[in-house]
Amino acid sequence: MSDEITEHPDRPQRGQVLFAALFLICATLLLAAIEDQTKWLKGKDFFAQPRFWPAIGVGGMVVFTALHFWHLPRKPRLLPRWMREADWFQWAESLSWAVLAIGLALWLGPIAAAPFVFLVAIIRVTWLYQHWTDRREAKIWASVFEWAGWFLAYVLLVPLIGYLPVTIAFSLILTWRVGYRSRLMMWSAGIFAVLVVLIFKSFLQVKIPGATIYEYLPGALRSFFILNF
Amino acid sequence: MDLIYDFLAQVQASSSVLARWDVVLALLVGSVGGVLIGAIPGVGPAVAIAILLPATFSMDPIVGLTVLLGIYGSSMYGGSIPAILINTPGTAVNALTTYDGYPMTTRGEARRALSLAYSSSFFGGIFSVVCLIFFAPILAKIAPMFGSREIFLAALLGIILVVTAHRKHTLIAAAMACFGIWLNTIGLHPASYSKRYTFDQSWLSGGVNLIVVVLGLFALSQAFTLLHGDDEKVRLTKLKGSFFQGFRELARHPRIAGISATFGVVMGMIPGVGEFTAQFMSYTYAQKSSKRPEDFGHGSSEGLIAAETANNAVPGAAMVPLLALGIPGEALTAMMLSVFYVHNVIPGPQLFQNDMDFVVALYLALLILNVLVVAFLLVATNQLIKVVKIPNRFLGVCILILSFVGVYSLRNSLTDCIIAAGFGIFGFIMKRMQLPVVPIVLGMVLGGIMEVKLRSAMARVKTPLDFIDRPIAAILFGMIVLVLLLHFRRVWLDYKERKTDEWQTSHASTSFPAILSRRRNYILTERGKTLRAKRKTFSRRLTGKD
Repeated sequence: MSDEITEHPDRPQRGQVLFAALFLICATLLLAAIEDQTKWLKGKDFFAQPRFWPAIGVGGMVVFTALHFWHLPRKPRLLPRWMREADWFQWAESLSWAVLAIGLALWLGPIAAAPFVFLVAIIRVTWLYQHWTDRREAKIWASVFEWAGWFLAYVLLVPLIGYLPVTIAFSLILTWRVGYRSRLMMWSAGIFAVLVVLIFKSFLQVKIPGATIYEYLPGALRSFFILNF
Repeated sequence: MDLIYDFLAQVQASSSVLARWDVVLALLVGSVGGVLIGAIPGVGPAVAIAILLPATFSMDPIVGLTVLLGIYGSSMYGGSIPAILINTPGTAVNALTTYDGYPMTTRGEARRALSLAYSSSFFGGIFSVVCLIFFAPILAKIAPMFGSREIFLAALLGIILVVTAHRKHTLIAAAMACFGIWLNTIGLHPASYSKRYTFDQSWLSGGVNLIVVVLGLFALSQAFTLLHGDDEKVRLTKLKGSFFQGFRELARHPRIAGISATFGVVMGMIPGVGEFTAQFMSYTYAQKSSKRPEDFGHGSSEGLIAAETANNAVPGAAMVPLLALGIPGEALTAMMLSVFYVHNVIPGPQLFQNDMDFVVALYLALLILNVLVVAFLLVATNQLIKVVKIPNRFLGVCILILSFVGVYSLRNSLTDCIIAAGFGIFGFIMKRMQLPVVPIVLGMVLGGIMEVKLRSAMARVKTPLDFIDRPIAAILFGMIVLVLLLHFRRVWLDYKERKTDEWQTSHASTSFPAILSRRRNYILTERGKTLRAKRKTFSRRLTGKD
């Protein structure tokens, strides 16, 4: 289901330049690494070459993202007053990028340096056109790492402490963390966690390993817990 | 006639496949679960299918697919409830339902709107399944005509359609499709066993698992989005009385219902097109042919019928390219494809030839499912609407816990979880900027199909024209060219329209810098004229006599 086709024809502009630039930088680096990371085998058909489809993929990423980047509505960044007024600064800024590009071309050779010169150009355009809303957006992107961290902590603890206890604890703590402190919500979180474990592990027997801590349980209880919780 | 008799015999044989307690349970769980999931804004069938996918691997293919198909087919029924009652679509495809459903609620006709949505959805669902049951024998005859090159061209057409369907986001959609193609190439090249983009890391040698990516992009990213967002205050309207009146009202609009369902079936069968195009076309048709077009968007029953009938006719039809050619047309069917592969059931022409009972059983399951869902909704809507009140961030916690089951149970791998979390963050960023993620999934699936099929197809091709020397290949190639031409024409027209708008509004600006700029230009032009006039007096104009 293509969720996004009709939604919001006028997308928010915040972060667009930054995202496109970062994606383009990654794609360009991948394209630069294509020779190292894929092989061109002699005597094999062109379409059967191991490099053919990665080249289509990475090449398409670079070309289409570059075009997308080019078409984005951009507004020049408002530089600090001293930068705007100092002619020498603008000269130095342009010159330093040019020196960097020429230096790369001389060091690596014109063909090998092409992706890196392109990278330099992307970084320069991004520096010139990024806005304070982009920086604020980047902070929001970074804030999601907290939730990803919670998820990975949950993943790490399950094989050690057990699916049932960790799920209950995770559900309660995370519910508390996101701001629901009422008794109703805490009970709901606990019941939900128990239900998930019962449905997936006990009933559907989904493949989740028994915890290390269960090894210390006595005889029958040990195998019962390993199998069901 | 023979075809129909053969087919009825097949239906009889297939019904025995369904007459099992586990299939019946799967039907019940899929239908009720799908409605519930659809009714909760912020969850959606993609999240639910992604989470449940690994759990279905241990089931029989028919049981697992029935659960997933149930969720897919019934979520849109549930999605219409919040769309009509609180102006928030439960699933993305119910967005058009809000246009006419919510205005009906505001004028006190919530029960009528819901009843109409249920009956239209039911009609769309049944219509598509009946069409496909009768088309199945013909499909079984056509499908074997698809060789490697035809399947390659159909997959290519699918990718192009997915990209071009994202109007105004075409370039980034194309970039994401290529990203998906690249992701699929990571790991060992199956023909030469050479490593591709593994960066000498052992965990990348096996490639990037589609389900891990799907879980990250759909489930985890949705959890992050909900956890990051705020809760919405929901005020529900009390509903009294039965929901049967919609069937009577639907019977008064047979033309709109029939044509909308046909749009749904046709668009559903074309890979990469899906519900949105079907809805858009049927809604536009209904508006143009209506006696009261001004009511559309303000609570028109015809608009509601067009939107709901078209979107529910798609799931059944979307199974056609998947089953007949092994080509998924959208993210949900792409996820279902992995269930086939896990059980060594390879969808494609052979499935239609050798295992027709299985195909017909799936369609019958979809038929029964629609009946179950409507029966459930007719009696349980009043209780069901309470799920809309579940707070968003709590839903985020629930999805995060359920995502763990999906990712970890796959291979008990921490690496998979880290990759899924990475894609979750990527999906969150894409969601924040309303950029398309579906092309990534389709790029991964269709890219893999294209790689294999192109390699085998090129073995018998000597000149480029040999590639399209068979009739179906030529038709598909023609369609690709046509789609591209139409797309570039539309881009050109949009460009012209934009330029005209810019030109028309360029003098309407009242901003002070714009006024200053115009004033400066005027002075400069006038001064130029004066200067040129002065110079003229000193230099004699050249004539032909000089």
